[in-house]
Amino acid sequence: MKRQNKTVTFLVMAALGLSAVAMIAVPAMAESDTIKIGMTSALTGPYNEFGEGNRRAVELAIKEWNERGGINGKEIELAMLLDDQLNPDRAVQNMRRILDNPEIVGIIGPAGSGPTLAVIDMAEADGRPYMNPIAQTPMVTYPDGTGTTPRRNIFSFALQNDVEATAMGQHLVENFQRVGVVHESTAYGVTGLDYLTEAMKEAGGDGPVASDSYNQGAQDMTAQVARMNRADVDAVAAVGLGRDLAVLRRTMARLNVNVPLIASNGALGQPFQDGAGELVEGVQGTMIGAFGQRPMREATQDFVDAYKAEYGVDRWWGNDEQNPQLFMAISVSNGYDAANILFEGIRRAESTDPDAIIEGIESIRDYEGVNAVYNFSSDRHHAIEANGVEVFQYVKRGDDYPLVPVGEL
Amino acid sequence: MDFFLQMIFSGLSVGAVYALIALGLNLTFWTTRVLNFGQGSVLMIAAMLTAVMIGSGLNMLLAILISLAVAGAVLIISEIVAIRPLLKVSGSMGWVVSTLGLGIFLQGVASLAFGTQAVAFPDVLFSSSASVQLFGAWVSMQYIAVFMISVLIVGLMELFLRYSTWGYGVRAVAHDPDLASLMGIPVRKVVLYSFMFSGLLAGVAGILVSQISGTVDPGFGLHLLILAFIAAVVGGMGSATGALIAGLALGVLEKLIAGYYSPAAAHMVAFVLLVAVLAIRPQGLLGKKEMVKV
Amino acid sequence: MNPLHLIGRVISNPWFVGVLCTVAAVAAGFVNQGTVQMWCFLIVNIMLAQSINLLTGIAGQISLGHAGFLAIGSYVAAVLLKDYGVPFPVAILITMVVSAMVGYVLAIPSGRVREFYLAMMSLAFGLIVYELVREWRDLTGGVMGMRGIPSPNLNTLEIFGWQVSMEWYFRIMLISLLVLMMMLRNFVKSHFGRAFYAIHVSEVAAGSLGISQGGTKRFAYALSGGIAGIAAGFYAYMVGYLTPESFTLMRSVEILVMSIVGGLGSLMGQVLGAALFTYLPQQLQAFNDYQFIVYGLILVFSFILLPRGIAGLLGTHTRYSKHDQLTANIPDVNAVLSRRDTGSGALVDVQGVVMEFTGLRALDDVSLKVLPGTITGLVGPNGSGKSTLINVISGIYKPTAGTVRFKGQAINGWPAHKVACLGITRTFQDPRNVPSFTVRENILMGAHRLYKHGAFAASINSPAASREEGQFLGRVDALMKEADLIRHADEAVGNLPYGIQRLAEVARALASDPELLLLDEPAAGLSESESERLGALIRLARDHGVGVILIDHHMDFLEELVDEVVAFDAGREIYRGDMEGMRADRAVVEAYLGKEEESHA
Repeated sequence: MKRQNKTVTFLVMAALGLSAVAMIAVPAMAESDTIKIGMTSALTGPYNEFGEGNRRAVELAIKEWNERGGINGKEIELAMLLDDQLNPDRAVQNMRRILDNPEIVGIIGPAGSGPTLAVIDMAEADGRPYMNPIAQTPMVTYPDGTGTTPRRNIFSFALQNDVEATAMGQHLVENFQRVGVVHESTAYGVTGLDYLTEAMKEAGGDGPVASDSYNQGAQDMTAQVARMNRADVDAVAAVGLGRDLAVLRRTMARLNVNVPLIASNGALGQPFQDGAGELVEGVQGTMIGAFGQRPMREATQDFVDAYKAEYGVDRWWGNDEQNPQLFMAISVSNGYDAANILFEGIRRAESTDPDAIIEGIESIRDYEGVNAVYNFSSDRHHAIEANGVEVFQYVKRGDDYPLVPVGEL
Repeated sequence: MDFFLQMIFSGLSVGAVYALIALGLNLTFWTTRVLNFGQGSVLMIAAMLTAVMIGSGLNMLLAILISLAVAGAVLIISEIVAIRPLLKVSGSMGWVVSTLGLGIFLQGVASLAFGTQAVAFPDVLFSSSASVQLFGAWVSMQYIAVFMISVLIVGLMELFLRYSTWGYGVRAVAHDPDLASLMGIPVRKVVLYSFMFSGLLAGVAGILVSQISGTVDPGFGLHLLILAFIAAVVGGMGSATGALIAGLALGVLEKLIAGYYSPAAAHMVAFVLLVAVLAIRPQGLLGKKEMVKV
Repeated sequence: MNPLHLIGRVISNPWFVGVLCTVAAVAAGFVNQGTVQMWCFLIVNIMLAQSINLLTGIAGQISLGHAGFLAIGSYVAAVLLKDYGVPFPVAILITMVVSAMVGYVLAIPSGRVREFYLAMMSLAFGLIVYELVREWRDLTGGVMGMRGIPSPNLNTLEIFGWQVSMEWYFRIMLISLLVLMMMLRNFVKSHFGRAFYAIHVSEVAAGSLGISQGGTKRFAYALSGGIAGIAAGFYAYMVGYLTPESFTLMRSVEILVMSIVGGLGSLMGQVLGAALFTYLPQQLQAFNDYQFIVYGLILVFSFILLPRGIAGLLGTHTRYSKHDQLTANIPDVNAVLSRRDTGSGALVDVQGVVMEFTGLRALDDVSLKVLPGTITGLVGPNGSGKSTLINVISGIYKPTAGTVRFKGQAINGWPAHKVACLGITRTFQDPRNVPSFTVRENILMGAHRLYKHGAFAASINSPAASREEGQFLGRVDALMKEADLIRHADEAVGNLPYGIQRLAEVARALASDPELLLLDEPAAGLSESESERLGALIRLARDHGVGVILIDHHMDFLEELVDEVVAFDAGREIYRGDMEGMRADRAVVEAYLGKEEESHA
């Protein structure tokens, strides 16, 4: 009893102590000679695929810059690396901590639209350069839609929803008459449907003849697929995560609905391939084209080599030792490009003043990034355009199902 | 007609799984008045282990048996570690915290061991493209298998509960543990067995439902757990047949609303049904009314 | 003294709390904004924990849907300010009212639905709200979230031209929290708090004191919803962006976990629980991939180490009377009971009552009249229907046939709490006190039906409320003296000997100033001196004109007290008259002896 009491006392003291430290901790204000950046992302938890991939990429970029002597002689340091597990409230707390640190020069944001939208107003009000690597909704960068004035300090390296939809919409209108859309019920899926509808009309076709949503993690999509079938569609377009797209594909097979499935980038990732098995054959998906080109562009090849040297064939790389999976473009190399552009901006600014850096980034033209060639300006803050996006298709070659650009079939 | 039948068949298949989980929840609720918030993770662990073991080349049947054994063991351990010590302190509701904690712990272990990404679940029962024509509608063999297995297990459990010594013990303990103990019933053993069976049922449900979805990931199970809660309450806590009827009804209703109205509205149906049943018949469809004892 | 209890004493000391809050309020101007923001999150969590504690910890109703309140409150507050320009303090008050109304409506079926099922109801509520928020895109922005809410975080929150900075926002929240907790403390110590807890422990016993179970639960839900509404309002402005993902089932469970780990029932425990779970995730980041495992283990084992939560560890108990705040004048015991008119009419008139349970006729055409100022004894073997009759009169059972009139008014079929409010008070065969309450608190609970002051007056300790509470505290002291309970006044009843518990229950019945007193075997298990005390209490009641029905097996005890005795067997009256006659009555003797033989067989 006595001993237990002691343990308990210790535990409580430790807990109180920790809280107290957390409550009064004030960051040191000393002037330092490194360039500090801050990052909050989903480093752990069920959604860490993107967050952890991005962390690896950002650290790789920093390592390379520092090996080249840093920026204008100063070393770069990832001074704050915080984990938000994709939880919006936690992202807000983390972002506040980062913004409170006056030494932070640039920020790399969370791994999804939910937490990003929760922090973006704060980040904009603060004014320091903010790189959005993953969140796909264009509202992050352009509150009133792409083509309008961007937020002054926000730059996006994500495959924006509207950009992806433009590429997909064009492809759909060129090949099909009656398209049905199945999308997840998140911000990504709901706006995905809107943009896709818009893009199909712009490409000269009609909008989708049917559309339905599902919740992430759904086990069965009989209702959705049967409704598509009843609407007599000649293709199903889908916006969602790989795992759920696999459920969709399996349900289609079960109900003998044999129309083509054209899906968002999730269909090109491992969870989809695992979940759908041999049913992947014939499925098409949109993705940043960089890793699908042979030969790859020089910048892409350099990154591929550097990544393999640093981390080996890991789960972001994929199963094929020779060829990295296409998915790296949105889980890893986007973060790498984001960090590089931020550093390039600082280099051009020759200062850590936010406005100077922003102007530095806006002056970047024809920069050879991994995912694309980048051009920024004062009214163009997003990196990936529809021409950088391609449609790929799984084809059967022996026992494998490699992805081939539709144009090369 | 095809369309209608497709909704019915898939609803029955999913609903039968709800009933399995609901029955598992029922068992532990009868004997300890505890609702296991960690049950979703038990589903996940069983399915995940099966998938990983079969993936690494183990015999299919062996893999399933090992996974089920683990699921049963997990619940026995949770009874010993997370539930029993807390029931002594009445009114603290510590079991909410500890069962939830156990679920989160299992989720953490699974993410660490198998990664946070979805893992492919192999075709154990037929392949997903195997289907037959019933009354003119294409029905997946997997649906039929899942439905038959679930109903069979629930039926066996019902018989077992009704006619075995253990079943008698469960009913006695559910009625009044102190009295049961006085009557010479080994309460402790009865409780442990009920947890073990609860774990087995959850394990079977996890494996069956993964067969339908094709993948399993560490976050899997929460949504199913909620629907099973609802099936258990709507059917009447304490009734196996009630759980089966409610589970099937819930599954079919969901699909019909999703099919004929909108899939987005289907999620709400279950909750509205729960509220309606509670307001009209609080003891559930087949539950017995609790007598006020004075 | 246990050092932990010392900590508990210190942190619940008002001076300590005052100094700490002052320091925090001043410090908010000097620490960075992130720290202040964490403090604001902490206050939101404390408020949510208090909200669920009131409902679950005090009133005993498990809520699995508090995120629903948080969601409704957040969107209401956001829309009020963003679209209608309502000044933010007013908006928060409106939010509170709206949330309280939602809580009330949610609890409407609660009179019929019991514990566990109400919890399921709250679960469904939380999930429905979550789905609604996602689907109602026009109002909430759906899954895209709601942006543009004025917020101190973005320097966009203004009131009458004054821009509210994060530090001032925190100070406003801190003051609100202090006011809220002060009011909660007073509320819990009032007769409302006791009623909440009584419902928690035993709905039947609570009903016998005039506490309506449905009404109390609805009130508890409404209050809990209201407090959650305040928290929601502050939350919405603090973050400035709302997304449905903040209001999932997991959020509801997190709120419940904070409260449980803090220690259900303790107001101070809620603060500690909230603090732990506000800062824990930040600290856990250090565990990287092991976060989930560590968090899970903490939850699993917290209760093995802390069976009553942090509050239990620190020994901070909530008390349910204002005994520590007020000094009472102790009146003469004769002033505790009103002097009732002993007119000729029957006080209670039972006519032809039949009570059937499935296949069993527990009462068969029973009639009985009790006059004011008289004592009627009920005797008979076990199972002869005596207790059933008391249950029928006190409204716990609804008779199958027959009428029960109280002062000429038919009351059969009334709910127990309404019967109790008429002045019909009963005790139970096994004492139904609140075990964790002190003797004083238990007896004070008897006076529940007599209280006039409302919830708001109780929360702010208005002069009228304090006067009334003081008056009843004085009466309780007088009763305790008469029953010789004063030395146990501040001990928990559950830890006291059986005889003391019985006496306390009878004293509690007298504290309700009854007109009709129904005592079910009050002398069972009492020592001789305790029996004497009991006799004195019963006579006291009779002398004030109270009608008494007394069940007992001790003939000597009855002999001294009763004016008339009625004997029952198998649900029928077999004798009525004086004690002497009963002893000689063959039917009665046979009934008892017959039983005797049976039990020997």
